[in-house]
Amino acid sequence: MIAEAIRTSKRAVIPYVTAGLPDLDATGEIIRALSDAGAAAIEIGIPFSDPIADGPVLQKASHLALEAGFTLDGLMSGLPRWSAGVSAPLIVMSYINPFMRRGMRETLVRLRDSGIQGVIIPDLPCVAAGILEVCRDIGIDLIRFVAPTTTEERMREVVSQCSGFVYAVTIKGVTGERSSIPPEVRRRVQEIKSLTDLPVCTGFGVSTTAQVEDLLSFADGVIVGSHLMARVMDSPDPVEESREVLRKLMA
Amino acid sequence: MKGYFGEFGGQYVPETLLPALQELENEFSAAWNDREFRDEFSSCLRDYVGRPSPLTHARRLSEHLGIEVWLKREDLNHTGSHKINNAIGQILLARRMGKQRIIAETGAGQHGVATATACALFGLPCAVYMGTRDIERQHMNVERMRLLGAEVVPVSSGSATLKDATSEAIRDWVTNVDTTYYLLGSAVGPHPYPTLVREFQRIIGEEARMQILEKTDSLPRAVIACVGGGSNAIGIFSGFINDPVELIGVEAYGDANGSHGASIHFGSPGVLHGARSYLLQDLDGQVLDTHSIAAGLDYPGVGPEHSFLSATRRARYELVDDRQALEAFRLLNRLEGIAPALESAHAIGFLEQYAPGHEGATVLVNLSGRGDKDLHTVFQEEL
Repeated sequence: MIAEAIRTSKRAVIPYVTAGLPDLDATGEIIRALSDAGAAAIEIGIPFSDPIADGPVLQKASHLALEAGFTLDGLMSGLPRWSAGVSAPLIVMSYINPFMRRGMRETLVRLRDSGIQGVIIPDLPCVAAGILEVCRDIGIDLIRFVAPTTTEERMREVVSQCSGFVYAVTIKGVTGERSSIPPEVRRRVQEIKSLTDLPVCTGFGVSTTAQVEDLLSFADGVIVGSHLMARVMDSPDPVEESREVLRKLMA
Repeated sequence: MKGYFGEFGGQYVPETLLPALQELENEFSAAWNDREFRDEFSSCLRDYVGRPSPLTHARRLSEHLGIEVWLKREDLNHTGSHKINNAIGQILLARRMGKQRIIAETGAGQHGVATATACALFGLPCAVYMGTRDIERQHMNVERMRLLGAEVVPVSSGSATLKDATSEAIRDWVTNVDTTYYLLGSAVGPHPYPTLVREFQRIIGEEARMQILEKTDSLPRAVIACVGGGSNAIGIFSGFINDPVELIGVEAYGDANGSHGASIHFGSPGVLHGARSYLLQDLDGQVLDTHSIAAGLDYPGVGPEHSFLSATRRARYELVDDRQALEAFRLLNRLEGIAPALESAHAIGFLEQYAPGHEGATVLVNLSGRGDKDLHTVFQEEL
């Protein structure tokens, strides 16, 4: 249960890791290391050739993973092993096209059967292709975004269709580390909380322990992606590096 | 469903952009129903762009092919292509919306030049995203944009062409959505762009229909246009959509060896840049690299309305490769004294395939742009 895992975590940090970097075996080990280091949940990113919501770091990570030969079948064969071996719930983040290409329902069922508990789709603001019904039907959480530009009316709609947690985007822009997080995010998180009992997690731009600390004073969880992947890509030992990054953010 | 052409189209964008798309849709529909806006658009097209563009009977080409070829001369517009129609329309819209900064993507550089021109005309700052590969092969347009006061932002990610320039423009828009207007150049992208671009390009088809009726007293047998994203094609098609006229889009078959930009011919439905449409992709849904000698056709997607017109068989989509386009380029120079853009040369190139079996038929070709920008590429190919 994603919501439960976030609620019961003392310090809910949700790391994002691009799958297949440097290879899929490493991804499996990174996931285990992150879970051991206390991740509340783990977001596994499916690399995509045209990641329009991502900044330079995650673009590069996507590109390198595809260059290294990432395939969906490879990922699917690793997932059951990974999910069985860790305590943190696993979430998959993917742009819509790879899901559509393989068939929406088939892909989601396959993910669920591999132990994936939730999905995040950054380019699906309108619930097309009946994905909402499919997710409810097969029992996988559909985590949805509330952006800084989201109107109140739309916020109600998004929150009512959301499960697992609500993803509150901290900034207008793409993913990537920022030196400061706009203070308005606090009010937005409170607004979302007044509409739902689901946990509300914040993400985009987070890189320091101080930022995590600050965001957790009003949000239920924090997602950290680019910061982690930048360190993973720079390190000769990505597994140990991941553990270290998370340990620091948890401190 | 709203924002769809059959099963194609939609709004597959980050949540942050959704209100901006709604605002754009509202403003466009208000503007398009506003007499004053329409009058201003028309007078800009007349007095600045130089419309109506002529319809030329290609006499010697007609003799050569055995069919009657008429050319809609979008190459004679100010800035040298049809792109200016849409750039003027959208800049008027941006001004109406109070936006202070304009961004655009460009492939061949024609849309970039048109946008930079419109921005100079209305005194707005402009950033144009362009792939580094396209910057190399369309250097003259890069210099032109800079001369017009635009900032050309090189994009080296991915294949470093139009696809990646478009992704980068979208990323800029997400970041600066409050102040910035994204002036998209083709009939692609999330709703309402494909509709909005078509409406601003509709003038091509409306004029051409009147002109050909006036000159030949009848409708043409076929209307032919090149298709990358598909804005010039949708513009001319829209004038004839309810007529008993064949609509033919010509896709880039590239080196004819598997490297091409023919999304409708060889692609399958998928999502790129905010819309579901035919897409060149692998079995995992990763977007494939493309190739065409014409930078403006070097794109793995296509406007959703073209996918719809293809699926419903209202239009058909044919192939012309690099070599055939180059031949057509030379042929039109020799026989008509017109240097077409390499994009438009694909539409001309298709006539060789169309002529056999259609002897004497009247065809209308959209000559969407002029070829000065391509001389360098053509000379290199001759070496």
